Amino acid sequence: MAQIKIFGYADKISAKPGDTIQFHVSADGTSTAEAHLVRLIHGDEHPHGPGFIEEEIDCVANGTWQVEKQFTQVGAFLEVTDPNRKLALDSSITLCAFIWPTWPDVGHRQCLLGRWDNDKNHGYGLGINPSGRLEFWVGCGNEIDYLQAELPLQKQAWYFVAATFDARSGRATLYQEGVVNRYNSLLSKVAPVDYRSHVSEVFRFRQNNLVDTPFLVAGSRDWHALRGHFVSQLYCGKIDRCGVFDRPLGREELDAIRAGGQPPSYGMVAYWDTTKGYTDHGIGDVVVDIGPNRLDANGYNRPVRAQTGYNWNGRNDCFRLAPHEYGGIEFHADAMIDSNWKVTKTFELPEILRSGAYAMRLRAGDGKGLAEEYIVFFVRPRVPTGRIALLFSTATYIAYANERFATDGQIVQPMAGQPPTISEVDIEIYENPEFGGGCYDSHADGAGICYSSYRRPLVNMRPKYRISAFDLPWNFPADLSILAWLEHKGYDYDVLTDEDVHLEGVAAMAPYACILNSTHPEYHSERMLNAHEDYIAGGGRFICMGANSFCCNVAFRDDEPWIMECRKTGGHWIAWAARPGEYYLATTGQMGGIWTGFQRWGQKLVGNTFAGEGFAHSQPYRRMPDSYDPALAWITEGIEGEIIGDFGLGNGGAAGIEIDCYKLGFGTPPNTKIIASSGGHPDNYIAHDEEGAHAHQGFSGTHNYILRADMVYFEAPNNGAVFATGSIAFGSALPINGFENNVSQLLSNVVNAFVKPGPLPGSSNRPRENIGRFERVDP
Amino acid sequence: MLPLEYDRSQDRDIIVRDRFDGCRREFLRTLVTPEVIEEHRRSPLGQHSERLERLLIYFRQRPLDERYAVRAIEPFRRYQVVKLSGRRGVPPRVIDTGIYTSANEARHGLFLRCIRDLLET
Repeated sequence: MAQIKIFGYADKISAKPGDTIQFHVSADGTSTAEAHLVRLIHGDEHPHGPGFIEEEIDCVANGTWQVEKQFTQVGAFLEVTDPNRKLALDSSITLCAFIWPTWPDVGHRQCLLGRWDNDKNHGYGLGINPSGRLEFWVGCGNEIDYLQAELPLQKQAWYFVAATFDARSGRATLYQEGVVNRYNSLLSKVAPVDYRSHVSEVFRFRQNNLVDTPFLVAGSRDWHALRGHFVSQLYCGKIDRCGVFDRPLGREELDAIRAGGQPPSYGMVAYWDTTKGYTDHGIGDVVVDIGPNRLDANGYNRPVRAQTGYNWNGRNDCFRLAPHEYGGIEFHADAMIDSNWKVTKTFELPEILRSGAYAMRLRAGDGKGLAEEYIVFFVRPRVPTGRIALLFSTATYIAYANERFATDGQIVQPMAGQPPTISEVDIEIYENPEFGGGCYDSHADGAGICYSSYRRPLVNMRPKYRISAFDLPWNFPADLSILAWLEHKGYDYDVLTDEDVHLEGVAAMAPYACILNSTHPEYHSERMLNAHEDYIAGGGRFICMGANSFCCNVAFRDDEPWIMECRKTGGHWIAWAARPGEYYLATTGQMGGIWTGFQRWGQKLVGNTFAGEGFAHSQPYRRMPDSYDPALAWITEGIEGEIIGDFGLGNGGAAGIEIDCYKLGFGTPPNTKIIASSGGHPDNYIAHDEEGAHAHQGFSGTHNYILRADMVYFEAPNNGAVFATGSIAFGSALPINGFENNVSQLLSNVVNAFVKPGPLPGSSNRPRENIGRFERVDP
Repeated sequence: MLPLEYDRSQDRDIIVRDRFDGCRREFLRTLVTPEVIEEHRRSPLGQHSERLERLLIYFRQRPLDERYAVRAIEPFRRYQVVKLSGRRGVPPRVIDTGIYTSANEARHGLFLRCIRDLLET
């Protein structure tokens, strides 16, 4: 009997009571699962804390669900909309494209473009064969005729390639020429590499086109008895302008296209101008056909656009400056954006549901290990009910989705200061590309993954999960320790998500007197960052609970907020680096990378941001002189001694894992006070200084005072205020000793002061009118 | 000097890496003492003596297919040491039957394997 495994996802990450929510589930080894709605309260099973805590909730959907094995289409490609079968060419044909293959020697056939049925062997295609050579083929069911180039394609080199077929004579010709310039490819002209191949042969027969075969770019149609039609022969690399003609183009005509000329209109059936459609704010998934039939193509699993094309010459670093140089569309055989599984269950969330972090718990068989799934989502109130909001960093969860850096990342063990601690589910996602990676991973062809989404199982956005690289609860399961603290202390609170803030801006935050965010609020769109700034400047009181805060710039489309784009550039702490000329987000047209690159350091918002990271050992904070200022004594009221947080579920201290520091030169508000600060972190804490200094010895924990978590406080206009912990480990210190400890005491002092209307204790601020001030609704 | 026949792969960087590695290992072997091993047993994580830190930095930088990992069979209760495949999609393999009752014990077991590899090659 097969091992029971069950995985799923919801169509929403943020919902309200009464909303309809859909669950998509796939199961192996079982046809039923026991479902129960639960409210999640604590997610860290560390024996020094309260352990895992959930609350079962009555719900119409509780009970036995029928589940089945579902299949996932992995890989990015384009599918052409061709209702009148203009591309079912039974006679002469030319296929042409500019290509930049990243993995020509992968060892299996990759289809560049064609109307090819890989199961029935009907149609035609131009691709790369298992020996890494350009190949053209036609099939009529029983037989296939092939024509291959004389030499293998070079990786990361631009070519113009074409295949022509004269149906009258049966002559097939391959055209392969390098279009390498000084900038666009891996090698320069000093490398003695031969790019050219021109071969010709007479085929024995003509292609036969099936009625329903789609014309695809970067893949071809296939079929499997259980899953039906799917796409295989997926291509890794870039394709720039490509087209189809119903006659064999001559050598001179192909030379002219290669040289940048317009393709001839005579005989053109389709010509996809991959540079069409750019606006100042990016580009979508539709690739425009400028031919007579307007056979536009649609991207599946989000092929990467805004990539440099064959004619990129190094002068322009963004598609906004020269869209005609950005015709590159990049495909990856392991791209995975949306599982697109059938809906397993749809229901309305109970109207009486209180705001919180929820999951649909699914169990099959013994309900242990992979036979248990928690599909997490967040519920906001219909109308804000609390004075406090807990803001879950869903953008950061998406960025880290299903990361595999413990098994694939060379740098992870030196960073983490420890070997990885791998669990059963880590191995499961490592073996199965259907889960897709996150923005910390690279595709198998070596390119960084720049799109991630929550419409697929996210095994690390679950309670109990511990990140393998660091053996810690990470992001969501760690953030539940903050929720558990709010529960334990009896605060009335609602939850929010990054998605709410992105879609609604400051309006999502404004109702709350005090907002706490998460242990790791790293990823923010511009809208999210603006909303935070407006909330605080408008009188909001904000507690930044974590570290590595407000560092990375990401983007979402309004109509698909479940997909996030992330281009890694800038700083020297990134998992991969976007290639030259490919720093800009196709979603918005804004440069990607870190907010430091925009003069929007996290310090400008919350007083501190990224100093460094280490992961294997945490430290306590020591109180700093500002904490003894009588005007600020309320923050540490009830705390004895100098040491705060010499304990915690996050490596034994409240200051650690990733840590943020105060820096006036990066925009820390000048009235900011340092209440407490850590130091003496081990040498596997390395400073991520953004001042552009040369790397040098002495940039590690025991050598450099910059490696510290600063607990900072400042007052903002309109009675606003910010308290920032500067440490990921802070939240994991809260549950120690039944939530009764000096970290918990300190946070209570801050929250209690922040929720009270009027001036803050010891305030030097006088309320003043500010046109940016928002109206807060008192609950 | 290594003979030209040493490696015929296209990536000549591997030859340089291995030569550097050989010199590094020769030195690192001199750092292995009972005291260093005991220091690691007491505290596998955090700040260590320079001798131990140098050894650990080397072990953490090995090519992926030569690195070990801890496998949590049951978090906080049962662990074992596995070896990474270094090949995408190929899971780590179990290399012995030893079961450890804490992550730190497993980390130390892993460290002893690394020490053994260092001394035996």
